[in-house]
Amino acid sequence: MSEIWKAAIVDSFNRFLGKVLVFLPNLLAMVTILLVGVLIAWVVKRILIRFFKAIQFDNISERWGLARILSHRGISYSPTSLLARFFYWIIILIALILGINALEVAATQTLITQFFNFLPHLFAAIGILVIGYLIGVFLGQAALIAAVNAQMESARVLSLAVRWFITILSLTMGLYHLGIAEKVIVATFSITFGGIVLALAIAFGWGGRELAKEFLERFSRRGKGREEGPDKISHI
Amino acid sequence: MENTFRDQLKQIGETDLLIGIPSYNNVRTIGHVVRAVMGGLAKYFPKARAVIINSDGGSTDGTQEEVRRVQIEDYRTILTSHPVHPIHKIVTPYHGIPGKGSAFRVIFEAACILNAKACAVVDSDLRSITPEWVELLLRPIYEEGFDYVSPLYARHKFDGTITNSIVYPLTRALYGKRVRQPIGGDFGFCGKLAEFYLTKEVWETDVARFGIDIWMTTLAIAEGYKVCQSYLGAKIHDAKDPGSDLGPMFTQVVSSVFKLMEEYQDFWKEVRTTQPVPTFGFQYEVGLEPISVNVERMIRHFQLGVKDLMEIWRKALSLDTTRGLEWMARLSDEEFIFPQKLWVQIVYDFAIAYHHRTIHREHLIKSMIPLYLGKVASFVRESIESSASEVEKEIESLCQVFEEMKSSLIERWS
Repeated sequence: MSEIWKAAIVDSFNRFLGKVLVFLPNLLAMVTILLVGVLIAWVVKRILIRFFKAIQFDNISERWGLARILSHRGISYSPTSLLARFFYWIIILIALILGINALEVAATQTLITQFFNFLPHLFAAIGILVIGYLIGVFLGQAALIAAVNAQMESARVLSLAVRWFITILSLTMGLYHLGIAEKVIVATFSITFGGIVLALAIAFGWGGRELAKEFLERFSRRGKGREEGPDKISHI
Repeated sequence: MENTFRDQLKQIGETDLLIGIPSYNNVRTIGHVVRAVMGGLAKYFPKARAVIINSDGGSTDGTQEEVRRVQIEDYRTILTSHPVHPIHKIVTPYHGIPGKGSAFRVIFEAACILNAKACAVVDSDLRSITPEWVELLLRPIYEEGFDYVSPLYARHKFDGTITNSIVYPLTRALYGKRVRQPIGGDFGFCGKLAEFYLTKEVWETDVARFGIDIWMTTLAIAEGYKVCQSYLGAKIHDAKDPGSDLGPMFTQVVSSVFKLMEEYQDFWKEVRTTQPVPTFGFQYEVGLEPISVNVERMIRHFQLGVKDLMEIWRKALSLDTTRGLEWMARLSDEEFIFPQKLWVQIVYDFAIAYHHRTIHREHLIKSMIPLYLGKVASFVRESIESSASEVEKEIESLCQVFEEMKSSLIERWS
């Protein structure tokens, strides 16, 4: 009986040892991948900081209003530091996932595949959002200046409308790209945008008939009789 | 350059004098301009070989046909004899960005091909041009050894406000030469200067449009060419000016000035004093047509700018300057005044912001328009009762402020 007992224990221990011996190289591979990942992330972070400083990314962000948004949100990092940190943690995350993958645990394999398939979409969506925001700021500013120079009293409202329209459009595109409730998002955007345009059309056409008439008359007069304007000043 | 145009130039061979007339839908005035130029050439340079080139931007009103048609049938009517050599007249369209600068480029190219000794360009919308203008623009180059002639006009006190409030004082303070009308539009230049202009790759920028005038003047001064000015009398031009919208005009001129500041920063940082330039021509007083100016509208535009553009201006201007602007916006129309120092500070701050790219450059310059209109409104209000000489004194005083504050510009330019 004791022989059988002994054999069972030894057999079990051997099987455990065998599994440990099979698992150990994977564990070492994971640790190595993590260490290399951390090293690469650190190097990439340093390179990015130098690169962004060389192209004066902080100044550009200041000009585009990104730095202001960060400070308003209570983020004390500079845009350069923030972006470098972002890529640092992305590389760490990838290294971690690769490390887990190296363990060859069946349950994690599918999840990891799905994660890597999703990653390009995530980056594309972030890109769309950032570019959309920057275009929104740029065109909003352009609209504001043009409206002031056209002496429109509601210049700021027009500027905000342009800015928000482009930001919401990019947000919609980003979410659509991620595949999150695609149909709902497109329908929501179409209904909202269509509703706004319809509301403005009704408001301007019905509520502001006199204003619209006056505006069109003024526009028509300007086209016909440019020379009869009150200013005959030659600027150059 | 078109092949037919090149062939025409080759047939002519060489010329002593070349007059360029850029045009776009100027049928009402260009006939008078061509006649004045032909008369001037016949009267003052009868023995010289001369070519007139009309560089047209695709007129649809018959401008080109008018130039071809116009002749002086009997030179005795302008008290001169027929010129020894026939005056060649060429009409050619220009290509590239539509604008005055592109038209000038064709004229420079023609000057090089024809090996012209002295050239002049005159606007095609002038109503006050006389044959004497031709002499005054060409003789300093043809006979006196100068390289560049800038015009000097008798203008209405409210005319040329970009010139009076920005371009003249700034150019004078920066480059040290008191060229009173650096963007006058009618210039004389030697053939080698035309050749030098062509070596520059600027024909896709604002220089191809309204920036050409200040570009030509600045290059002539900063590159060490001999510069003078000629008094031409009154400048009266056609009321219909196809490119007379303030926005593009202001943006193109001011951005060209700021861009040139970057190009010639090593030069202007060393300039400490200003000198007058030799002036030709007999100066006299002229009666000028009255100009109506809507000061109230300009003040409203300025106030709207203070209300809505302050966020943008703050990126370029100091705290004291923005406070000054806010104070101005609260003034009534009767009290409205733009202090000279504040204006100069603003111009220098915008130049620095342009240089450092603090804001998108086009946005920066366009956002300056309400400030400029505020300055014009203040100027008009202050000088409504002033005589021409009193207004000139006021402009001189502004120039001195620009010169006094130049050191602060140099310090912050870096």
